[in-house]
Amino acid sequence: MTIPIVPKLLRAHLSDLAANNARIDGRSQWEGRNLEVEHSVLPRAEGSARVRMGDTIVLAGVKFQIMQPYPDRPNQGGLMCSADVRPIAGRNWEAGPPSPEAIELGRVVDRGIRESGCIDVDSLCIIPGEKAWQVILDLFAVSDDGNLFDAFALAGIAALRNATVPAERFEVGEDYALPVSKTPIMCSYHKVGGRFVYDACSREELGGDERIHITLGDDDNVHSLQKGLKGIFSAEEFAEIMTNAQERTKELRKILDSM
Amino acid sequence: MGGYGDVQMIDENGLRMDGRSPGDIREVTIETGVIPVADGSCRMTWGTNEAIVGVYGPMEAHPRKIQRQDRAVLDVAYNMAPFSTTDRIRPGFNRRSREISKVTKDALESVVLLELYPRSKIRVTIEILSAEAGTRCVGLTAASVALADAGIPMTDLVVSVASGKINDVVVCDLNKEEDNYGEADLPMGILPNSGELVFLQMDGDLSQEEFKQAWDYNMDAAQVVHGLMVEALKGGDSQ
Repeated sequence: MTIPIVPKLLRAHLSDLAANNARIDGRSQWEGRNLEVEHSVLPRAEGSARVRMGDTIVLAGVKFQIMQPYPDRPNQGGLMCSADVRPIAGRNWEAGPPSPEAIELGRVVDRGIRESGCIDVDSLCIIPGEKAWQVILDLFAVSDDGNLFDAFALAGIAALRNATVPAERFEVGEDYALPVSKTPIMCSYHKVGGRFVYDACSREELGGDERIHITLGDDDNVHSLQKGLKGIFSAEEFAEIMTNAQERTKELRKILDSM
Repeated sequence: MGGYGDVQMIDENGLRMDGRSPGDIREVTIETGVIPVADGSCRMTWGTNEAIVGVYGPMEAHPRKIQRQDRAVLDVAYNMAPFSTTDRIRPGFNRRSREISKVTKDALESVVLLELYPRSKIRVTIEILSAEAGTRCVGLTAASVALADAGIPMTDLVVSVASGKINDVVVCDLNKEEDNYGEADLPMGILPNSGELVFLQMDGDLSQEEFKQAWDYNMDAAQVVHGLMVEALKGGDSQ
């Protein structure tokens, strides 16, 4: 990813807005952008979802492979999550091997889903020591207008909940819906003009400082945290966004449950 | 081609497995402006094929060594998303996608008025989200719509269509099964206003007469698809 030049004017403008409790696109501090979630959007994937948050659009596709279980875990399948931000998603994303930014994105989203235990890897075993399912979640950015993290995480869990294990095609039984026992949800906060805001757009990311990602499970259990970029935050600031994340993840989980 | 199997793919009425006549193409839909942050974009479905194309530029070409003093450079990348096929594709470039990127670039460079933008770069990214035979044609056609959507001057749009042969019958626009078991494939990139070509490939086995028939099918199909492209660019949704 090329690092764009941050105009001093943009930073100054964002500071002025923050001082007046306003944001560059007219939202309030904790307000998210317009959200759309769709299921079954990719005909060749065993599960898929499209998420749109404002002008940020991402896709998630689930594929299955049969793997040999690892020798130390003969009864377990695997979950693999990979994120790719290709040049189609924005002028600052470039072709080539995944950039550190794209790798961080994939790994943070992966941790939230994996650590929540929403996919029971023991249930993915077909023949102990010989055959097990590997679930592969591929996240794909179509349009990056900021906060790819939350969009990827939401599309990822929505696609997993939509997935069918293609047992018939692999001749190991009948197709069945992939069991997903929990719904981890990520909320991201960026410090813009000296205060944290929820769901930053690309201009806020560009002229902002550090960001914090929180993934919460069904019972508000914390499954992954990540602080990114340069910046310092206080315990009070963190407590405030954690409180907000508890409310917001519940709202988002309700949206997924209603689909 | 996949093989010269005994699979019967034309029924006694001369219809194909999906009910099409030999000269019919699959259903095509075209949408522009699908990537809000891009300068131009296009989403095209063609049967179960789906491609999205993003165009960025003209913009600064860097590093400077890639700049051309008399024209813009066109950066074209064709890629199949990991979830676009039955078996997952490992991300990253492979020889096939490199070749298709190159021939697509060669085709588009033939129509884009690059000399209007010296020292700059125009980036065209083709992503196949769902594949069902003929993705290179869908990618090239959608790329020309996305370039037009970005307002980049071109001498003409490019319509790319393939015809081939199954069970010794020449047919237009092969689907997946026909492509797997077919005996020939002839993809062409056509300038619909002049009938000239900017892209041509072929593999398989065609007699001179069969070749002429496949060529004519492609020319006819190009006119049909061109109508949908113009409609999409003029603002209406095409179906």
